[in-house]
Amino acid sequence: MNKLTSKLIAREFHQHRWLMAGTIAVGIVSLFVAGSGTPMLFNIGMLCWLTAIAAYGCVVAMLGIATERKERALLFVLSLPLSFGEYVRLKLFGLLLCFLVPWLTLTAGALVLVLVKADMPDGLMPFTILLCGFLLANFSFVLCSALFAKSEGFITLVIIVHNIAISLFIFLVGAIPGFFDHLKDPAPTWGTAFWTVLAIEAASLVVICSLPYFVVARRRDVI
Amino acid sequence: MDNKHIEMRGVRKSYRFFTLDDLSLDLEPGQIMGFVGPNGAGKSTTIRLAMGLIAADAGEVRLLGHLLPENQAIAKRDVGFVSDEMRLFAHATVGWHMNFIASIYPGWDAKYAATLIKRFNLKPEQPVKGLSHGEHVKALLMLSLARRPRVLILDEPTSGLDPVARHELLTEFMDVLRDDSRSILFSSHNTVDVERISDRIVFIDRGRIVDSRDKEDFLERWRRIQLQLAPGAILPELPNIVGRVVDGQFVTLTTNHFSNDLLARLGPTVREVHRMSLEEIFVASVFHHREVAGQ
Amino acid sequence: MYSGINISQTDARPMYLQIMEQIRARIAAGDWPAGKELPSIRALAAALNVSVITIKRAYLDLENEGVIVTRHGKGSFVADVNGLAGELQEERLAEHLTRAAEIGQSLGLTLEDLEERLRRARKNLDPK
Repeated sequence: MNKLTSKLIAREFHQHRWLMAGTIAVGIVSLFVAGSGTPMLFNIGMLCWLTAIAAYGCVVAMLGIATERKERALLFVLSLPLSFGEYVRLKLFGLLLCFLVPWLTLTAGALVLVLVKADMPDGLMPFTILLCGFLLANFSFVLCSALFAKSEGFITLVIIVHNIAISLFIFLVGAIPGFFDHLKDPAPTWGTAFWTVLAIEAASLVVICSLPYFVVARRRDVI
Repeated sequence: MDNKHIEMRGVRKSYRFFTLDDLSLDLEPGQIMGFVGPNGAGKSTTIRLAMGLIAADAGEVRLLGHLLPENQAIAKRDVGFVSDEMRLFAHATVGWHMNFIASIYPGWDAKYAATLIKRFNLKPEQPVKGLSHGEHVKALLMLSLARRPRVLILDEPTSGLDPVARHELLTEFMDVLRDDSRSILFSSHNTVDVERISDRIVFIDRGRIVDSRDKEDFLERWRRIQLQLAPGAILPELPNIVGRVVDGQFVTLTTNHFSNDLLARLGPTVREVHRMSLEEIFVASVFHHREVAGQ
Repeated sequence: MYSGINISQTDARPMYLQIMEQIRARIAAGDWPAGKELPSIRALAAALNVSVITIKRAYLDLENEGVIVTRHGKGSFVADVNGLAGELQEERLAEHLTRAAEIGQSLGLTLEDLEERLRRARKNLDPK
């Protein structure tokens, strides 16, 4: 990675710094709410925590790619001494990093909450990890679609799919035979179900993130 | 011998409703080339081809000797590109962009940048979000000029600028040309500016180059000739007449290759001979070209 | 600097003619004396905000008129009123001297003899 691309990635951070901070703040507060005791507050808190991460991902992907293109800052970037392939790669890498900062923080926060809180069974840990992993893979799906898309309509559709996918994921994982039963255990169960889903998530992440390299980065008409 | 800064040979680019065809263009070092054409003629497409932002369907494009679009990263190191559609990063200030560009390009001249800021009436603390269109273009031009690139490629650089800003800008362009190893390609609707500072002028219409020659060549070749024919007399067939307006005995001819020979053949019927402004030449050229193409 | 030279785009006359006229005026008035170096083509182009090719044209035509003299690689200079004539004179002198040397040699004169003849000829020119 050369000086120019690292500067552009740093700029990406600079642009989204308030968004990142805000997401982390909302997430942390939500975790506190979730841990404050009552089941209802737990639900509200976890929902807010989930929404914070998911919404942040969509917003940062939109701002980072579609809005830049629309607002013609893309033309300015392309006037710099880099190729379109380098641009795609730095966008991918930069925005992933921008997502990872709040994601890591809030994932850690959720895991800490589960471990620390007495009234939260540690059996929740596998599910929490899978959910966080899914959110990361889901974000990469939105990000790579945004890189590929040429119209805003397409990206909007992708975001809708992304939102539906979250509920779908929770439902499907909960329906895995035996998985649901272990959620309320005091100790976490790292069964085959867990490792399989985790492996699928990791593989999806890699496959999705490699697509821009082969498709978008090779485009010859950039505008 | 110096290599050409921009070289396009037989370039073709097709879109659904528009095709750029058989485009050949050369920008020599030490030259300012003015690129003139109606809206939709293909100026922006040509400029984007020259920058490697789009790839030609046929033909070859070279920028500073580098084949495009594959080698655009290297070529762009010494090229400044500003388009009137371009925008800076909305989340930062003018000063942030100056530091950004200064850190990327070794040729950045901080003193010159400071001079330009003052001349263009900009402030480093200004957030990009609050800039008007004209200020935005001035900021972009300042960022390009201050790094002293070998080639400047400008798409409508003076559009939306007030006359003072335009004057400042043209002065900076001419200053660039003090160095005969640098060159400028700029597209513009403003034929007055093009006429003034261009060395070479290219006319483009409906995806094709209509005419391309030295400015003084254009100005010398084109004339409007007013004749008064004797009653009942007919005008002889003459070469290089691209326009003819008849009003009774009075005829106005437009020629694209004026010569004393032509005057001699017209004889005493000639009342007046007028030179034409670049704008008049451009319009006459385009209409003539469309007429010929339509046949 | 050269901002005194003004090109008007609303003037019907072509820009190169206007430039030529203004340069001629300054030479005629004595502001630009014989032998003065003209600004370089690019410098004048930048000062007037006019294309290089227009200045080139003006300088070329001025040289054809004998108003200025361009030395390749050195620049352009205001010609003498006799300026162009002066150059021709220089050429003639060189020719004559060569011829004198040839004739002297064929007569068997030494260099000192030649110099003596030249001195006498020069003396004959000075009015008493």
